[in-house]
Amino acid sequence: MTATVDDSLFASLDPVALKGSSCTACGATVFPALGSCPVCTGVDVEQVALPTEGTVWSWTTQNFEPKSPFRSDGFAPFSIGYVDLGPVIVEGWLVGRAEWSIGEPVRLVLTKAWTEGDTVVHTYAFEAAS
Amino acid sequence: MTDPVYIVGAARTTFGRFDGEDNDLAEEAVRGALADAGLTWNDIDFAVGGTNGETKPDNLVARLGLTGLPFVTVKNGCATGGVALMTARNGLLAEGAGIACVVGYDNHARGAFNASPARYGIGDWYGQTGMMVTTSYFALKIQRYLHEHGIDPRALGYAAEKAFEYASHHPYAWRRKPVSVDEAMDADMINDPLTRFMFCSPDAGAVSLILARGSRAFDLCEKPVRLASVALRGRRPGSFEVFSTWLSPGERTSPSIDAAAAAFADAGISPAEVQVAQLQDTESGAEIIHLAETGLVEHGAQMQGYLDGDYKVDGRLPVNTDGGLLANGEPVGASGLRQVHEVVRQLQGRADGQQVPGQPSIGFTHVYGAPGISACTVLTTEGE
Ligand SMILES: [Zn+2]
Repeated sequence: MTATVDDSLFASLDPVALKGSSCTACGATVFPALGSCPVCTGVDVEQVALPTEGTVWSWTTQNFEPKSPFRSDGFAPFSIGYVDLGPVIVEGWLVGRAEWSIGEPVRLVLTKAWTEGDTVVHTYAFEAAS
Repeated sequence: MTDPVYIVGAARTTFGRFDGEDNDLAEEAVRGALADAGLTWNDIDFAVGGTNGETKPDNLVARLGLTGLPFVTVKNGCATGGVALMTARNGLLAEGAGIACVVGYDNHARGAFNASPARYGIGDWYGQTGMMVTTSYFALKIQRYLHEHGIDPRALGYAAEKAFEYASHHPYAWRRKPVSVDEAMDADMINDPLTRFMFCSPDAGAVSLILARGSRAFDLCEKPVRLASVALRGRRPGSFEVFSTWLSPGERTSPSIDAAAAAFADAGISPAEVQVAQLQDTESGAEIIHLAETGLVEHGAQMQGYLDGDYKVDGRLPVNTDGGLLANGEPVGASGLRQVHEVVRQLQGRADGQQVPGQPSIGFTHVYGAPGISACTVLTTEGE
């Protein structure tokens, strides 16, 4: 049983995939899943597993420790970005290194967010695909 | 044909840290604006107050006088000032009132705003994983923008240098020490590519304006400034807003683009005619983006403007002539009205800091903020 920061973010954990929702009227895809479509105001949406590979759309470094409710086992600067998955651009951690380039390929992974007693709590992240 | 609405009085406090009560700030600004217009609180028919703090603006009447006037309170984040001004304008036109008072103020504690995921309808995981941070949003947005339009990141340093140079001449600005482009670029990195000198901080301040409808304005004020238009817009699909877990692929939109276009159209004035402007510069990157989103400068041409000195006081398009948010900080409720105050003073030829030469007669202001709203005004000293 894999613990996560929020189980509703995931369509599956092994292999890992994020869960979004897609509008049956206009096709717009959002993350996390919503019960309605903010793009066309429609209310008929279906839950979908998002693509797990994409490209870096933007990135930055988080050089200071975020305030509460941020949790960690000890703060170290990290990178975050927006990743273009095709139907939707998703925000998430970029792991494995500090500096990134817009357009480079990445893939979805599970990574440790923090530890709670003996349990490792996971979140989603993207790592370099090559 | 509705009557034109004019600004006939304007006053602001010094921005920065403040130990007193929020209402002290607000009262100082209102009494200053009344004095500037040669009026008393008894003369005000309609009032609007905006703050993001805990005080109730409509209770200012306990200090100013229980005249029985209608007093509306607004709370719209960074756009509070613009919304307050629009509400006062609408009040004058709809209520048949003659004179309105607008006041915006805030007194924020030190440090960046601490946002709660629940308030924005986002799960706790977003804050717990360190993504609910306003400064990283700004960095992600400008990183993408610089890439899309091939802009040299040194433009960020030029924006900071310009802000603090203007502020060094402005008696009401908070941070008045000049900073060179190199100092701004080499300072501590907060969120790549933005350094410490490229962000504004929450602080304290108040601004008040007195509005008058129709020809009465010319009895009250030697040089009334016409509120030629004020427009408020929200986000559409394709905009890139703070605390977005996802973005739409494809064409980018922005509430700033929509609000600016509406304000210019309503005023019958084109962006090319603007002679002095105020743009939301929560950080350096925001000024660069908003120069283009408002239509004042082409996307990608911003850096050349900095290099040519276009945005300085004797340039083609002076921008944020009081130092903007970077040097004034952001008391959220007052910030949008500070912009209008500065442009009013410039158009009247009595700027508190550096005066734009050549008697400018067309000004523009732009506020923008969470969760994706923008308010713009066009201000003129022509007409009547
Ligand atoms: Zn839809």
